[in-house]
Amino acid sequence: MTKNVTIFTTNTCAYCQMVKKYLGAKGVGYEEVNLDEHPDRQAEAMRLSGTMTVPVTVVTKQDETQEVIIGYNLARLAPAVAA
Amino acid sequence: MNQTEVPKYDLVVVGAGPAGLTAAIYTTREDIKTLVFERGVVGGLAAVTDKIDNYPGFPDGVAGLKLADDLRLQAERFGTEIELGEVTAIADEGTYKRLSTTSGDILSKAVLVATGSDYKKIGVPGEQEYYARGVHYCATCDGAFYRDKRLVVIGGGNSAFQETIFLTRYASHIDLLVRSTIKASDVLQKEMETYIKAAKVTVHTNTATEKIVGNANGVTEVLARQADKSLSFKTDGVFVFVGLTPNSQFLKNTLVRLDSIGFILTDDHMQTTMPGIFAAGDVRSGATMQIASAAGEGATAALKIREYLEGRPLPIQDEA
Ligand SMILES: Cc1cc2nc3c(=O)[nH]c(=O)nc-3n(C[C@H](O)[C@H](O)[C@H](O)COP(=O)(O)OP(=O)(O)OC[C@H]3O[C@@H](n4cnc5c(N)ncnc54)[C@H](O)[C@@H]3O)c2cc1C
Repeated sequence: MTKNVTIFTTNTCAYCQMVKKYLGAKGVGYEEVNLDEHPDRQAEAMRLSGTMTVPVTVVTKQDETQEVIIGYNLARLAPAVAA
Repeated sequence: MNQTEVPKYDLVVVGAGPAGLTAAIYTTREDIKTLVFERGVVGGLAAVTDKIDNYPGFPDGVAGLKLADDLRLQAERFGTEIELGEVTAIADEGTYKRLSTTSGDILSKAVLVATGSDYKKIGVPGEQEYYARGVHYCATCDGAFYRDKRLVVIGGGNSAFQETIFLTRYASHIDLLVRSTIKASDVLQKEMETYIKAAKVTVHTNTATEKIVGNANGVTEVLARQADKSLSFKTDGVFVFVGLTPNSQFLKNTLVRLDSIGFILTDDHMQTTMPGIFAAGDVRSGATMQIASAAGEGATAALKIREYLEGRPLPIQDEA
């Protein structure tokens, strides 16, 4: 079961919009961290994903395990938020 | 999508870029049952471009994301369905073509291939190793990670110039490495002058990138060659814009003929060499790689597809 979802985004990132649209269509709530507005949280996004790219979607399960999805990757995003 | 019954459409459009979405606006408006398949971003490359200054109707330019969203809304207003997934193969079954997709099979009387193209890699050591950890292909996606940092941009065409200009809002300095001479338009070159004068950008022509070097934290330098001189550019990241490669691999085992690079050959009606399969936009051989022309080709294809669906034979021309 999904406990919460956090997406790291930027203002100009089209793939971020796609992730948000997908979650919206599936009725999955999420917290958005816009790195243009919160550059101080860039290091956190980089630590979680090991990359310097967005979107980074962090799905936290009820048992506190985390799945980190880099980019707009439906093959990973869909199953991660399905349960 | 229902697994047991194969859905049937008049038209499946592969790719929701400006070409595909324009075609869908035309066909759905004329009640042609249309499904658009998109494996990436709705809006295509237009959606990942920061600002578009040369698409008619927008005197102050338009943000790529905004144009993409408006194209989608306009297509959906007339009933276009957009399915997020990839078309992986097409087979001819007479009246219908069978499309294999990541959401199952689909049957369609006509198919418009509007799959555009993807960024080319340069193929130097370090490019793959530091992918997304210092080597990037999308400025609007990853530029924000380089606030007040040094960057190297590789490429000398319109995209490289446009993206370099975009990246100046973040980077402290950009070295633009152009392998031979500059191919960007005069307008972009003139715009770039401002950034060169402000010492934000230094352009290095006849400079071939040889290696991207880094450590556990990411990229640290780019090694290049200028005639018989070896050069080193200290940097925190690299953005590569060295051209595009057509998304036509899924047509390999079909009757659709491609040119030597992989762009789809069509006639003036946007018909390919496989009956019922049309192509428009950047993926088409001879395309001018502009949003306005992609939209125009999408409209032409839509009108020709209507004639095809009405059973009006389109003359086969030599070019295809
Ligand atoms: C950096 C950059 C800046 C640019 N700036 C400008 C500009 O200022 N003005 C201008 O006019 N043009 C500009 N262009 C060019 C413009 O973006 C393209 O000419 C235009 O987007 C082409 O439209 P299209 O619909 O043919 O293809 P695309 O926009 O590439 O769309 C094709 C779509 O098909 C999808 N697709 C591919 N294969 C499949 C498959 N098998 N199944 C499902 N979907 C698939 C892709 O994901 C993509 O979304 C720029 C391009 C770049 C790279």
